[in-house]
Amino acid sequence: MTRSPILSVRDAARHYQSGETVIRALDGVSFDVFPGELVGIVGPSGSGKSTMLLIAGLLELPTGGCVAFEGEIVSRPGGSIAGLRDFRRRKIGFVFQKANLIPFLTAAENVALVLQIDDVPAAAARLHAERLLAALGLGERLDNRPARLSGGEQQRVAIARALANDPPLLLADEPTAALDSVRGRQVMELFRTIADVRQAGIVVVTHDNRSLDLFDRLVEFSDGRIVAVTDNRPAARPASRPGAA
Amino acid sequence: MNLAMKDIGSNLSRFLLTLVGVGFLITAAIGMVGLYRGIISDALLIIDNIGADLWVVQGGHAGPFAESSAISPTMDRRVDGVAGVAGARRFVQSSQQFEFEGRDVRASVTGLDFPEDVGGWLRVVRGRHLASAHFEAIADVSLGLALGDEIRLGRDDYAIVGITRGMVDAQGDGLLFVTVNDAMTIASRRNSEEILLARNGMAETADAASASNAGRIAAVVVGLDPAADPERVRAVIGRWGDVDVLSRDDQHALLLDQRLWRLRIQILAFTGVLLVVMAIVISLIIYTMTLEKLHQIAMLKLIGARNSVIVSMIVQQAAMIGLGGFAVGLGFAEAIFPLFPRKVAILPGDLFSLVLAVVVISGVASSFGIARAMKVRAQEVLA
Ligand SMILES: Nc1ncnc2c1ncn2[C@@H]1O[C@H](COP(=O)(O)OP(=O)(O)OP(=O)(O)O)[C@@H](O)[C@H]1O
Ligand SMILES: [Mg+2]
Repeated sequence: MTRSPILSVRDAARHYQSGETVIRALDGVSFDVFPGELVGIVGPSGSGKSTMLLIAGLLELPTGGCVAFEGEIVSRPGGSIAGLRDFRRRKIGFVFQKANLIPFLTAAENVALVLQIDDVPAAAARLHAERLLAALGLGERLDNRPARLSGGEQQRVAIARALANDPPLLLADEPTAALDSVRGRQVMELFRTIADVRQAGIVVVTHDNRSLDLFDRLVEFSDGRIVAVTDNRPAARPASRPGAA
Repeated sequence: MNLAMKDIGSNLSRFLLTLVGVGFLITAAIGMVGLYRGIISDALLIIDNIGADLWVVQGGHAGPFAESSAISPTMDRRVDGVAGVAGARRFVQSSQQFEFEGRDVRASVTGLDFPEDVGGWLRVVRGRHLASAHFEAIADVSLGLALGDEIRLGRDDYAIVGITRGMVDAQGDGLLFVTVNDAMTIASRRNSEEILLARNGMAETADAASASNAGRIAAVVVGLDPAADPERVRAVIGRWGDVDVLSRDDQHALLLDQRLWRLRIQILAFTGVLLVVMAIVISLIIYTMTLEKLHQIAMLKLIGARNSVIVSMIVQQAAMIGLGGFAVGLGFAEAIFPLFPRKVAILPGDLFSLVLAVVVISGVASSFGIARAMKVRAQEVLA
């Protein structure tokens, strides 16, 4: 079983110039994410986890190295972020610590919006959104605005939104940080299911040690570099060998 | 789904309040411009409607509206004899205050040269024109008189036989039309104190016929043959020496550029200030509306929305604020300005300019909003 990775990050670097000094937020990181794989990214604060997610998510360009999707290089230094928006819409779903739902839209509208801006007709978008939300246990809250949902519910709407386009890659930055441990575990289990059922590649940055058992692989960052990779299910897929420090 | 509508719908009361606010600003702008138009149209009412090509007035006086003027009551016959003159009528106008049913009424008593002029050029909305040489009057509706009312002017009673609408003088006093002979009688029968003051030259009024000029008329209204050369007629009459001849354009210029000059400048200045305030407030509202949504706009970019989605949301909201506010403002204006004591003339041309201004203001403000929105980066969602 030799599947090709969805996402390949190669030698990615992101350096910020701050006066005289250079901040190496990311300093030469390589790893792959395969379909159906749930990858955890851990490491101390300031180690470059979020920066890596921005670069893998095509929200920022690397200052060195490149990012490839399904074998094709889409982002490299000097490229254009604006030109990647269409690509992002189809290929990547995002979930963050805060749900960041659009406050004047209902739960169903928030999810359907993603489809509608991708030219799916309104009725079909709505139906798909309702099914997704129902599948995430929010069938009763379709027409509630975000302000009337709990934090956990909002986060599940955000996940439904990220899934709406059925993107092959899901990126999440501390999605459970604002939730209690029970809700946090539920969200992580949801990611596990999505990876298994939809065969999406999922990368989750997390500080939450209680759910680490759910991950296929844990990548540990420190000072902008990968310092350790732990394979939880080594038999399941070909091992990736990053150039660890 | 329409994002602009959803956003507005989620906070409808606030949007409506904004519309009312913008609407009132636009109402004020319409009112200011309309007041200006109204004052001018009131001032020019008689000059434009009496059918005069030329006005013969007292020599050295820019009468009868901008200055006083008094000429011989038989001047019309002299003028009538001039080649090219089709008709000459006597004109008299004086401000009068009288009591009617316990209240003071201020009217601008204007003489019609009966029987040549029975008031056919007046905007009579009820009743009839003058039919008798004496003691009949046509009153403007603003005087609050009704058909059949009897009013006492001087020592005589006058019956109201007709009602006009929208006929007032430059001060906004309603016009009361009587025959020229009656008007002269009324003008000459002011109280003795006034007569004394006037005799001593202490009453500086612009009245067409002041007390010192009892028995005189203010001007002769001249209609020309279509074929006549106005300049030639002017020259002939001008050579008499005791009178001056003014054209309709001269009268316009005298009123607008001299008599009403300060008022006009002042109203125009206020109108300018108001329009600037309106521009600033509307732009700020529209720009702030966009700023408030920057986070959502970043989110839209993050989920991959095209710029057109964001631009159309901003433009639609700007249009709803601008055009909606204009509609509300115009509605208020139509509802309240007819109740104002002075005429507020809402002209289609002015409305068009105003709506154009609102569209431009909204357009400029939303383009600033769009420029700001385009600069937002998707990752600002995380901030
Ligand atoms: N725009 C920027 N300009 C300058 N320095 C930056 C910028 N963004 C990030 N950094 C720096 O890069 C480093 C890595 O930041 P990053 O946000 O990736 O850390 P992190 O691992 O996500 O931390 P945390 O766990 O606290 O979220 C930090 O030292 C940070 O201060
Ligand atoms: Mg982070």
